Amino acid sequence: MNLDWSIVWSSRWLLLEGAALTVLLTALTMLISVPGGILLALMRGSRFKPVSLFATGFVELFRNLPLLLLVYWAFYVMPVLTGLALSPFVTGLTALCLNVSAYNSETFRSGIASIRKGQGEAGLALGMSRAQVFGEIILPQAWRRVLPVLASTWVSLFKDTSLVSVIAVGELAHTAMQIRSQSFRVLEMLTAMAAIYWLMGYPQAKLVDWIHRKYGVRE
Amino acid sequence: MTAQPRKNADRAPMLVYKDVRKRYGSFTALDGVSLHVNPGEVVCLIGPSGSGKSTLLRCTNGLETLDGGEVLFEGKPLPKSDVEMRGVRQRMGMVFQNFELFPHKTALENVATGLITVKKMPADEANRRAMALMAKVGLSDKTANYPSNLSGGQQQRVAIARALAMEPHVMLFDEPTSALDPETVGEVLNVMRQLALEGMTMIVVTHEMSFARRVASWVVVFEKGKLLEEGPPTQIFDAPLKERTRDFLSHLGWDG
Ligand SMILES: Nc1ncnc2c1ncn2[C@@H]1O[C@H](COP(=O)(O)OP(=O)(O)O)[C@@H](O)[C@H]1O
Ligand SMILES: [Mg+2]
Repeated sequence: MNLDWSIVWSSRWLLLEGAALTVLLTALTMLISVPGGILLALMRGSRFKPVSLFATGFVELFRNLPLLLLVYWAFYVMPVLTGLALSPFVTGLTALCLNVSAYNSETFRSGIASIRKGQGEAGLALGMSRAQVFGEIILPQAWRRVLPVLASTWVSLFKDTSLVSVIAVGELAHTAMQIRSQSFRVLEMLTAMAAIYWLMGYPQAKLVDWIHRKYGVRE
Repeated sequence: MTAQPRKNADRAPMLVYKDVRKRYGSFTALDGVSLHVNPGEVVCLIGPSGSGKSTLLRCTNGLETLDGGEVLFEGKPLPKSDVEMRGVRQRMGMVFQNFELFPHKTALENVATGLITVKKMPADEANRRAMALMAKVGLSDKTANYPSNLSGGQQQRVAIARALAMEPHVMLFDEPTSALDPETVGEVLNVMRQLALEGMTMIVVTHEMSFARRVASWVVVFEKGKLLEEGPPTQIFDAPLKERTRDFLSHLGWDG
């Protein structure tokens, strides 16, 4: 077979841009979906029934749909529903956020549930409000417990961002596929793409292992 | 029989419980409890486990809501609204069986946190106050420790300091020494005895009969969600009116 690796080198700036967009997409999704997950977890625990029902419905829906379907759905249905013409990037980001927020909500819910009831009562007994109890006592403790799970979510998310390439978001996967179809260098581009994902993902996975060791088993 | 006047009986009571009732589902935890606590009194609640002692304390500061009757604190019924209840809770300190120190905060931060978040006190002033309270409970050298690096007795003393920081008018203790190793029980009881000497109003759920005998000004015996008997320690421990009080005490190994 006749391989020409020079295509990888000559596309390096495009690939780098794609990789940067992949990182940006991952970071933005997490930045939105962590508070989103906390909010959904709080809403699920609300004593106000419509609020908790809405949150439960949201989580169970978006957690159990294939992400790929969600991406297509956001691309075709959301503009109709909202009447907005959103860029592919924003559309992809939305789909990722819906899915990851739903996941994070479950993560936070079990993290919050793992804090002894007496901790909150000790805060209330001092005269704290429920919001103060949550912010001062529950969340900081739950945070340590959910950090390893959030880190794992990050690593899967980093790889899953490649799914938004189907709606032409110019992240790493889409960029590599574009170059492939223009140059017909299929094997070279797929290999380069795998290498870049792996080189970026492996250190993250190692970092997660470290976080698991440091925070995973406590008390 | 014993006609000795109750401590501070001439003053308005700090707490009055009128026919207090509390159910958990179909289970009646408090079945019409009436009782009062005068300012400066140390009232010990004793009785078999499951008889409703903790429930009464938790109904006092609103961790549980009543199903009947009422609780008057400093002459006023416990408020219904959350905001007003917070004001009441600031005037009641609570000490838990399992300490419930905040594990992510140092001992000093545990003591200062109520002052900072609830009373909005500037951090440096709050820390100064917390420091003084740590000294009061004999832990000046442990202020930077996290709870996990303190013995049970030390943790409970920090928990007492944390409650005292809010300058409560009454302290509620729920079996403060039950979770402790025997060798650290004494240090906690000493802090409590000191508080009693300073005139703090205290309600203490305890199985430490010698503490109740020596420190309590009034002892209340619970049984199955009801008051079995109440009186000064001399009555309860030396000449109980009820046979079942005697049974309970002898069951604990108290022989009068
Ligand atoms: N949250 C709850 N739900 C159901 N039952 C409870 C709850 N809290 C307490 N109880 C029951 O109420 C009874 C009284 O409990 P408690 O006040 O803790 O007793 P004590 O402190 O005297 O040991 C016990 O039988 C206990 O099982
Ligand atoms: Mg109890």
